[in-house]
This record gives sequence, structure tokens and C-alpha cells, in this order.
Amino acid sequence: MKLSFPYMESPVVYYKIFDLLGHDVVKPPRPTQKTFNLGVKYAPEFACFPLKVTLGNMIELYEQGVDTIVTSGGYGPCRAGYYGELQQKILDDLGYDIDIVIFEQVKGDWKDFLDNVRLLKKNTNIINLLRSVYIGYKISHSMDRMLKKLHIRRAHAEDKRALTELWDEIQERYLDVSSSGDVDEVEEWASSELDRLGGPIPSDRERLRVGIVGEIYVVMEGSTNNFIERMLNKMDVEVERSHYLSEYIDSHMVPWKKKEYQHILEKGDQYFEHVIGGHAKRSLGHIIDYKQRGFDGVVHLKPFGCLPEVVSQSMLDRVSEDLNIPILPMSIDEQTAKAHMKTRLEAFLDLIKQKKEEIA
Amino acid sequence: MKIGIPHSLLYYYYFPFWEELFTSLGQEVVVSEPNNEQIMNKGVKYSISEICVPMKTFVGQVLELAERDDVDRIYVPRLRSIHEEVTLCPKFLGLPDMILNSLDGMEDLLLVNTIEQDSDDISDPKDYQIFKEEFDVSQKELEAALESASQRWQEYRAQHRQGFTSDVLLNEKERSLETSDLTIGLLGYVYNVYDNFVNMDLLGKLRDMNVNVVTFEMIDDEVIEREAAKMDKRMFWEFTNKLLGAGYHFLKSDEIDGIIHVTAFGCGPDSILGPFLDIDSDEYDKPFMTLRIDEQTGESHLVTRVEAFIDLLRLRKKKEKRQQEKVTGESELT
Repeated sequence: MKLSFPYMESPVVYYKIFDLLGHDVVKPPRPTQKTFNLGVKYAPEFACFPLKVTLGNMIELYEQGVDTIVTSGGYGPCRAGYYGELQQKILDDLGYDIDIVIFEQVKGDWKDFLDNVRLLKKNTNIINLLRSVYIGYKISHSMDRMLKKLHIRRAHAEDKRALTELWDEIQERYLDVSSSGDVDEVEEWASSELDRLGGPIPSDRERLRVGIVGEIYVVMEGSTNNFIERMLNKMDVEVERSHYLSEYIDSHMVPWKKKEYQHILEKGDQYFEHVIGGHAKRSLGHIIDYKQRGFDGVVHLKPFGCLPEVVSQSMLDRVSEDLNIPILPMSIDEQTAKAHMKTRLEAFLDLIKQKKEEIA
Repeated sequence: MKIGIPHSLLYYYYFPFWEELFTSLGQEVVVSEPNNEQIMNKGVKYSISEICVPMKTFVGQVLELAERDDVDRIYVPRLRSIHEEVTLCPKFLGLPDMILNSLDGMEDLLLVNTIEQDSDDISDPKDYQIFKEEFDVSQKELEAALESASQRWQEYRAQHRQGFTSDVLLNEKERSLETSDLTIGLLGYVYNVYDNFVNMDLLGKLRDMNVNVVTFEMIDDEVIEREAAKMDKRMFWEFTNKLLGAGYHFLKSDEIDGIIHVTAFGCGPDSILGPFLDIDSDEYDKPFMTLRIDEQTGESHLVTRVEAFIDLLRLRKKKEKRQQEKVTGESELT
């Protein structure tokens, strides 16, 4: 069994877990235009962009000899919960002999879940299983701490490229860890390197901070959004996102940690009576949170036609007015051009700067 | 009090229920005009461009009703669920929230309750408690009103099963069932199938071509449920499940000559549903066509495609008949 998974931001965490379990695991290639083209070719036209990207990615993996793909499920109403089923149907129809193993949130019935665990645990014992998952979990938190630091420090660095290259190296080092202690060591090194190369953080009046909210895949996966964090950092703007892998794991899979994220969701109560799927309500909660924490603006990203986020996007004018914070909504698909995005971001930043000066 | 009901979305599925409910509670019901250019333009203007056309028409309808002097409240239920464990499309779940937070002056106008029930007979009183205060009625009166609403709706649904389409039933047109040589399964949500403005009177055009039309409402619930249950995982949107169940029934049924899937530009659930039916239609050797509609559908393009499809079905049928005759002729000879 040659196993892999669709690319979504850094593959380090998943790769490490499967690797420690003794699998023959292939690191998925980062999506490129070629991936998008494959996805667009075989996916239904109005499927959302993440489905197309991950489908394209699966085909690329198949070409590399992968026969098993692990992915996540869900129970809607966001379409993402049905990706696995639909992608399997499409790949079957194309005649590709590839199995998609879908991890569902456990909903009373543990059988499927345990079957999947048994498949993935391979010959290893339960101790090693827990250890592997723990190390993966620890890496996710450690890496996200460094990623957040990167998004702040790179904005003020003199040599921004050096920090981008450093980040690649940091990921490589995380990939090499084999124990919990190694993770601490890498983090210590990464943190000091980020400090060394990153510029000093200016006073609150001079620093610009932008929050990125929206649909999780296009917020997290840089290749889909033209690496918006890097783009903003290059314009000397600090960035924070509403989604990080470790936070996703905590808020969706670790029951005793869920509470820590509840307050963000509750902030969305003002605009949504209920959760309507995906992260629509949470996106609005994050916008309110960013405003309260003194951010200067928010970028709202969603795949073209995203069901929950079109509803939240409909409200953004009102939200922006209520909170007095500029919000820039952007739809992402295979045709999102870099120059287009850059122009819009530059105009947006002019607006933010002007606003900030007015207040000062 | 006069309650305005937008002539859009699930109006075509639930209007008899709502009408009976509000009149039984002593209120008057006003329905907005069917979609026209003016309403559509309003909807397009006040919606984000990416949202599907049915939602745009709904926004237009709400604005139209809001402008009228004779409407006191506009009923916009938050339809979360009409089946165990699954919901409707996220846009329905957030519909009142979207209206309230994107259009001005809606706070005092909208009448909103949340429907979260196990069946599409949405008459469980628990979801209508706010009506007691709103209309000053007792629990007993509310229950009685819901009971008769449910009854009226069941009658409406029973007429569907006899083969009547909703437009005929709602417009009280002369009711007759015509026979035809050709029957197609017209697969689509009620607001795409019956919105004559957006779909360029697709039903009328099919009738003019002397085609018999079967929609999902005409199929027995048990059949739909059985077919939909064959998926490993139930889809998350109940009306999509209904289409899925009806779709597989159409694929297998000898009485259906071909399937037209009418879908709105940017419809998310249909983007998941479509490929399953499309891929499997080859297996069942059943012609399948997807017809996409939006606020700027060109009429001639639609007519051409539908005509070509119907011609193909007729031709195919003729060929099959000839082949059959040949086979029976041969067997008679031997």
C-alpha cells in the first residue's frame, strides 16, 4: 500500500504521523497550475475550487504510484463533507484504481472509524500509534506558533526572501524529528532564527495588521491564494489568519479544547442565529475579534460560489459599517491572477493607511 | 394582519401549507407577483453577484413586498431541516440572517421562525411558538391551525402523486392529465422548475412539444427514500436527496424516456448531485441533459437545446420500436 493525502498547507504533520506508523507514504506535491487544470478538467464545473484542487492533486499522486489516499469527511451542510465520495466516483469513472479512505467525525457509530484506524495503524502497536499521533499533534502546534511568528516578523524584515527561505528550512527540520524532544529543539532554533532575521516590531501606531478570514482551504493553502500572506508581508503588513491546522484540530477533534474557540463563534451571534455550515459564522466572529484586538483591516477569502461563505459575504457591507473596519472580499478560483490580487490589495492598503492616519 | 409571502423558493412546495396556516390563525395572506424583469433586477442589484439566481429572485420578492402598503409582515422562515440528520442548503439556513443583515429596514418587517423537523410535513407546533404572541392565539388554536395546514398540504401532495405539476395546482388552472408518446423526468428544485421567468417557461415549452413531464413531487416518498438510501452517505441537503432519489428512479424506470436536470448557475448541491446521475446515466443507457439557468439565460439557446434533446428522444424511440418490430417479426418467421 502506497499512501498519501491531498495537499493542504504544510504536509509535515500528516506525513510525520504516517511515517512514524511505518507506512510507505508519499509527500504530496504542492498544487500548481497543472494541478488546477487537472481538477478543472475532471471535476464538475460548479464544484468548489478546493474540490478541484484536491482532485487534481489526487490524480498527480496516482501518477506517482499512490493507491490509497486519506482524506477527511464531514456531515455538511458544507459541500466539503462530500468531496471524498464524489472524487471517488470521478476517479472510478476515469478508470483510476485508487482508494480514498475517508475519516468521518465519529457520530455514534465507531465501526467505520475503527476500521480506518486499523487500516492505518498497520502492524504497529497501540503505544506507537498514540506516540505517533501525539508527535504529529505537537508538531502542528509548534509549527503554527512559528508560522504566526513568521507572519509578523517577515512584515518588518529587511530581507523578506531570507525569511521565506528560512520557513522552508524550518519545515524540513520538522520533517526530520523523531521524538517529542526533537520538536522542542527545532522550535527553539526556529524561533531564534526568526528573531535574528526578522526586523523589530514597530510601535502600534506604525504597524499595520490585517486578518484573513473565510473558507479554510483557500485561507490556508497558499498556492490557491497566490500566497497572500507573503504578498501582504512584502507590503510590510502583518498577517493573522482565522485558520491554522493546530486550531482546527483543537476546535474540531479535541473535546476538552473546543471551549477555547467557543468565544469566537459566539461573537458571530450578532449576525447569525445558527451555524450554517463551514466556517461562515466563525468568519464573522473572527472579524469582530480582529476589530476588538485593534487590527486595521480584514480580507475575506472564499472559493467562488462557496455555499456558507456567500451568505456571510452578503453581510460584509453591514459588518464593515457596524464595526468601522475595512473588509476586502475576494473570490478564489483557478483564474485568480496574481496581478489582479496585488492591485486590489494595494488599493485596500492605501485605504487602511489613510484611515489609520485620520484616526491618529 | 396581512402576511406577505414571497413568490419564490419554497413557495412552490409549501404555499398551501402557509396559506392555510395563516388564514386559520385569522390573518390575511398576500402573495407577491410572479417573477418579472423588475423584480429580478431588484434582486440582482441587492445581492452579491455570486449567489445563485433563486436567492436573487427571493431578495427581489422581499423588496417588492416591502414596498407595498398593504403588507404588514413578510414571512421568511429559516428552514433548517425537514428530515432527520440532514439540513437544507446553507443559503436556506442563513436566509433570514442574510436578508436582515444585507437589506435595510427589515427588522420590523420580517416574520421569522426556525423550522427544524423530522419530516417535510412541517407541522410540529414546537417551531411555531412565536406565533402565539405574534397573533395572540392559544396553543390550542395554533395546533388546530397547524393541523389543518398539514391536511391541506397533504392533499396538495396527493395531487402531485396523481401526476399534476405544482404550477397547475397553484394556479387553479383547468386540471387534466394529458397523454403523450414521450415522457421526460424533469429533475430540479421547485424554484427552478416553476419559475417561468427565470427558466423561460420551460414547462410550457415542453408541453407545447407534446411532452409529458414527471417531477420529483410525483414520485412516492418511499421510492425516493429507497433510492436515496443507496448512497453510502446521505447528502446533506434534503431537497437534493429528493432529486437524487427521483433521479435514480427515473434512470431505472422504463416509463421515462430521458432526463433533463435543470439547475441554477452556481448551485452548490447540484454540483455534487449532477456527476453521480450523469456518470450513472451511461450505465442505464438513459439520455441525460443538464440545463443551466441564470438571470440572463438566452431564450433561443434554451429552446434549441430542449428541442434537440426532445428530437433525439423521439428518434431513439422510433428506432427502438423498429428494432423491436424486427425482432418480433423474425421470431414469428422461425
